[in-house]
Amino acid sequence: MNSTFLKLNLGPQHPSTHGVLRLILEMQGEKIISCEPDIGYLHRGMEKMAEKMSYIRYLPTVDRIDYLAGFFYSELFCRTVESALELDLSERVKYIRVLLLELNRIASHLLWIGAFLMDLGAVSPFFYVFRERELILKYFEKITGQRMMNNYFVFGGVRHDIFDLDDVEEFLKILQNKIQDYNKIITDNPIFVQRTLSKGILAPDLAVNSSITGVNLRASGVKLDFRENDYLYKDIEFNPAVLNGKDSLSRYKARIEELQTSSEIIKQCLEKLKEHTNFRNDLVNPINLKLPTGEFYSQIEAPRGLASCFIKSDGGTSPYRLKWRTGSYYSVNLLRHLLKGEYLNDAIAIAGSLDIILPEVDK
Amino acid sequence: MNTDKIKEIFDCVETKADKIIVKKDFLNVIDLIKNNYKFDMLKEIIAIDNKDCIELIYNLYSTENDEDLKLSLTVSNNEADSVSKMYDSAVADEKEIYDLFGIKFIGNDELKRLYMPENWQGHPLRKDYSENDKRLEWNE
Repeated sequence: MNSTFLKLNLGPQHPSTHGVLRLILEMQGEKIISCEPDIGYLHRGMEKMAEKMSYIRYLPTVDRIDYLAGFFYSELFCRTVESALELDLSERVKYIRVLLLELNRIASHLLWIGAFLMDLGAVSPFFYVFRERELILKYFEKITGQRMMNNYFVFGGVRHDIFDLDDVEEFLKILQNKIQDYNKIITDNPIFVQRTLSKGILAPDLAVNSSITGVNLRASGVKLDFRENDYLYKDIEFNPAVLNGKDSLSRYKARIEELQTSSEIIKQCLEKLKEHTNFRNDLVNPINLKLPTGEFYSQIEAPRGLASCFIKSDGGTSPYRLKWRTGSYYSVNLLRHLLKGEYLNDAIAIAGSLDIILPEVDK
Repeated sequence: MNTDKIKEIFDCVETKADKIIVKKDFLNVIDLIKNNYKFDMLKEIIAIDNKDCIELIYNLYSTENDEDLKLSLTVSNNEADSVSKMYDSAVADEKEIYDLFGIKFIGNDELKRLYMPENWQGHPLRKDYSENDKRLEWNE
């Protein structure tokens, strides 16, 4: 670090870093010369912990990797174990999982919209999105008994059959109206557009090179959605939104579009669940569950980018090595490039637009 | 992507299961794979402590052809060549592996403790870690 520049600590206890992210900025006046992210304030040793625990004991903890999208990590861990044991999911269980995953994705994006707008100084949208998110969490509570960290997926199925699907249909209708409201209040708001348009330009080459996936990549014009090759989404048709803006505004719009995409997927799931009424789990006895020797890898498109789980098993009752890949971890790494040359007051908006969540970064 | 093709070009690789095991010239192999076969994304680097050696798995992905490729490298003397000049995301992965496994990546200047405190001794994900660490006795 050069001593002629001002060194500024942003965080870790800063309200707009969405947790405990510390950015060490080097400033020349209002301009950022360099940025160095410092993480690890929330490290819980998820990978080390796995090596000491049996598979079924570890299962409830994986929801905590990303508390806003717990279903995704639950699904990912179950999926890896299922692939090792070659368990087969019934059609109904598959659609139950997709339905809950997409509802979870909507809840996660809604919260991001509120938090992002709060970063820009607009507090009221935060309450609007919480109103809609509450409906999803109420439904999760009804089905799983928990609002967050649901622990509903198990190896080879789900805990029990789903019910009260009318609630979901009702919610989708409400969401459609609310998305129009968001567009009126936020998307067309000139102050919001001024703060986000052409800010934090993420070139497609840099995004791919920095392993950025998910909505952030699609907002830079690269069409890449890992749901398209996902076995759960095999019979579901959808079109992921690809935008060419490359800036913060584009990332916001892509998430609003994704609310629509997820709604479409949920609608198809509801139809499929009416067709496939036969509920069947392919469960294994979780006590002393042993995975065959070998390496198992699976991935899923989580709300914050590609998430993957790698398990190496030596045939014992706990993993020999378990590795998580999370989307936010690479988004934090990208901030080194994205904040360079920007003004300090834009730094919050740019960092916020990447949808970083710290428990996922620190694992 | 034809793994046999890579085997033909380099005599230093062999395939096992779905991985390509690289024996030497790792930087050249990965450079050629990146530029000639369009593997433009490094999804992640996975480190595994196999007790007798540490294995690194480079999980490459081609956005254009929607293909995966796994390269495996065995680390000797706790030192490996950094690929951070080719893939920016490797900076983050190598930092994490340095912290948790103690592998030094030659060419990556940003290596330092990430999750653990600066003065922490040992690298937690190594298999010989807990046996030597008296601080964990309360947990046994």
